[in-house]
Amino acid sequence: MIRFPTLAWLALRNLGREMRRSALTAAAMTLGLALLILSRTLADGAHEDWIDSGVRLASGHVSFNAPGYRDSESLDDRLTAGQVEVTLAAAAATVPTSSTGPTITTVRVATRGLASSADGALPALIVGVDPASELAFSELGAEPADGRYLQEGDRLQAFIGAGMAARLGLRTGSRMVLTAQVASGEIAGQLVRVAGTYRTGLDELDEALVHIPLPVARSWLGVEGATSVSMVLPHSTLTDPVLAGARATLEGSGIEVVGWPETARELYSAVRIDDAGDWVFHLILFAIVTLAILNAVFISVLHRKRELGLLRALGLSGAETGLVVFVEGVLLTVASGFVGVALGFALVWVFFRNGLDLTDMMPADITFGGIVFNPVMHPAIELRHLVQSVALTTVIGLSASLYPAWHAARLDPAESVKVE
Amino acid sequence: MNTTSDSAAPAASEHAVRTDDLWKIYPQDPRPVEAVRGVDLAVAPGEFVVMAGPSGSGKTTVLNLLGGLTRPSRGKVWVEGREISALPDRVLAQVRLSRIGFVFQSYNLLPVLTALENAEFTLLLQGVPAAKRRRRVRRLFDRIGLEGIEDRRPRKLSGGQQQRVAVARAVLGEPALVLADEPTANLDSATADALLDVMEQLNRDNGTTFVFSTHDPRVMERASRLIRLVDGRVAEEIVSGGAG
Repeated sequence: MIRFPTLAWLALRNLGREMRRSALTAAAMTLGLALLILSRTLADGAHEDWIDSGVRLASGHVSFNAPGYRDSESLDDRLTAGQVEVTLAAAAATVPTSSTGPTITTVRVATRGLASSADGALPALIVGVDPASELAFSELGAEPADGRYLQEGDRLQAFIGAGMAARLGLRTGSRMVLTAQVASGEIAGQLVRVAGTYRTGLDELDEALVHIPLPVARSWLGVEGATSVSMVLPHSTLTDPVLAGARATLEGSGIEVVGWPETARELYSAVRIDDAGDWVFHLILFAIVTLAILNAVFISVLHRKRELGLLRALGLSGAETGLVVFVEGVLLTVASGFVGVALGFALVWVFFRNGLDLTDMMPADITFGGIVFNPVMHPAIELRHLVQSVALTTVIGLSASLYPAWHAARLDPAESVKVE
Repeated sequence: MNTTSDSAAPAASEHAVRTDDLWKIYPQDPRPVEAVRGVDLAVAPGEFVVMAGPSGSGKTTVLNLLGGLTRPSRGKVWVEGREISALPDRVLAQVRLSRIGFVFQSYNLLPVLTALENAEFTLLLQGVPAAKRRRRVRRLFDRIGLEGIEDRRPRKLSGGQQQRVAVARAVLGEPALVLADEPTANLDSATADALLDVMEQLNRDNGTTFVFSTHDPRVMERASRLIRLVDGRVAEEIVSGGAG
């Protein structure tokens, strides 16, 4: 439209004239967007924290197994030594190179069995691990509750949960017996000594999970390969591309590649439900913001009825007159968008270092979905959600301008110019 | 619905504006209001026509019909031979922009624009280049005593100055006719006379056609033709020796 620059210029002048009203209208959008960005980044940060904690204690972001293992959890459904080599090569090939964080790959032999001491016995998930990679992977041994984590060269050491230690009357240095069905089908025991204990806050883990050195597990259980090879990625959003790459590489190899949404379904559901709840909250918030903006823009149209009628008399069509009002909304939205993003990032920056600490608002340990809720929320910027937030604000700003613009377009010029 | 009928239209040079059996009926309870009832008008280019009549006689409604601000319930309006009554909104807006100038009772300047920007607004919409616009505005401002107020916003102008800016805006686009709805109603005598002098001068020097609605005797005195409206009908036409 040839006259569009003139209409935009007029819209800009109109906004400048009612600076206070324009600023208040823009403030609603700016604040809404800034809070949306802060809220989204905190939610994204919390979700990433949940996922990271959850997958480290479970099967990582990406897990390689023999088909059927996830259902049977049996040593019969294990990867052979050759498949482990192939898997490690495939994992190394799909490591994202553009990411700054490390990717950790670990090999595990896991079986269900019994942990017993003189005080009693408990069902246990016994996992043979490579101490160095597992320490970085699960971080269980990063801060032991007592003693130390497994080390390279350990033979008969075990790292157990504080809950199990308490239930079985064990301390660092105590001896205990692990019993499980080995690959040949027989039941066999393995004497180990407690090297240290951990505490996750998850009772079901603290009373059941036992780490022993991988060579000991292989020897005891009669296994050459592994039950799983797992990868922890720098960020959960890398899961899909790594999965796709690994599946393509390992196609036809008889190795199943699965992502954390499948191996940690409860956690995945928890994230999805929380995410949906956040969006519902945001949509309600933005519905209120929309009405506030609509009200402000519409009242400004009613106040300027005579001017808008005059524009019609001077030669603007109804559509062009409506366009002036709509462009006012667009300019407000664009300006609010820029300021809102800047303010949002400023708020995010405030919480980046120390996070939002909700410790005082919640009891000791809240657990769900197989993780312990971290009361200190750190924001994380996800471009996808940032774009969604800006898009949502833009849509809202523009839709709130549509009705006033439509109303302006339909004003009767003869009646409007008479308005005092 | 009326249809465009070029065959029924007079030659473009014959009339600046013409109407044929013009009616405007507003639907209202308990019965519709007939604001304009069968008005036939023909205004030649360069005329200085005044429509007079008491309040409610239909003066403003006729002006609005002539300017395409409202559509007739019945009858037709031609501007320079083009029937405008049934034109689509976009085309009608273009006719208003290029062929019709308006001056309203309550000044009606855009408050966000300066006096100069208000005056040149029509030219701006017509796509006249900036330098040419400014030159034409300044020349006219000098002629009608508005020099030195170019950068003032309307609220910093007196009523007379605002109305002269509105007149400048109305004539700068070189329209076929200028429709002025009680332009002196809010002005004191001296200011009203000065404004009418300006309009007379533009009519005389440029041949601009003016059609007024008023009940101000000072305006009626200057009319080349006085049309009296009563109850939406033309009751009397008096050709006098005024402007035009």
